Amino acid sequence: MPAPTFTLTDAAGQPWSLADHLDAAAVLVFLRGDW
Amino acid sequence: MDDPRRHAALIHKLDLPFPILSDPDRAAAIAPFGVADPKDPREIARPATVVVTPDGEEAFRVESRDFADRPPEDEVIERLGALGLPPTSQDRPATGPAEPGPKAMPVDALLPYYRGARFAVVALDRRHGIGDDAGAYVAQLDRYFEAMKSRA
Repeated sequence: MPAPTFTLTDAAGQPWSLADHLDAAAVLVFLRGDW
Repeated sequence: MDDPRRHAALIHKLDLPFPILSDPDRAAAIAPFGVADPKDPREIARPATVVVTPDGEEAFRVESRDFADRPPEDEVIERLGALGLPPTSQDRPATGPAEPGPKAMPVDALLPYYRGARFAVVALDRRHGIGDDAGAYVAQLDRYFEAMKSRA
């Protein structure tokens, strides 16, 4: 099943796209943020 | 869900080698991946791990029932290794201005926090006979505890 593609903002405020990071497996960990 | 300033503070605090991304309106990744928590009024994500292969396919995922239910890291790493994909190098994440939120716990407080949580779960298990779920949570706290001790 194709994974959804997305672009989100990283901790530097820069866009981060899944498509740019698929040279190997990408491990996406969803966590609850309240920090 | 948190904003980049809080993520930057978390990366500094725990010396994390991977980026943390914000999905503040849950629309870009949390909803498309189907990991929103229907029991949470804010519909923030349940803890979940999703592995995507270089061809963009989802290889596998491990979804938790709630925040107290996390798969042992070893299980995920073993399944990841079984895919036989080449390793990649990744730059340490860049961060902008760091500002922890008001609920952020200092790193020195994490060990007594884990210890207190462990005692509470053990006590509740003795009182109510929770069983496997309690054992799994205690094991998770023990892994966190050892990770923090090895960092010191």
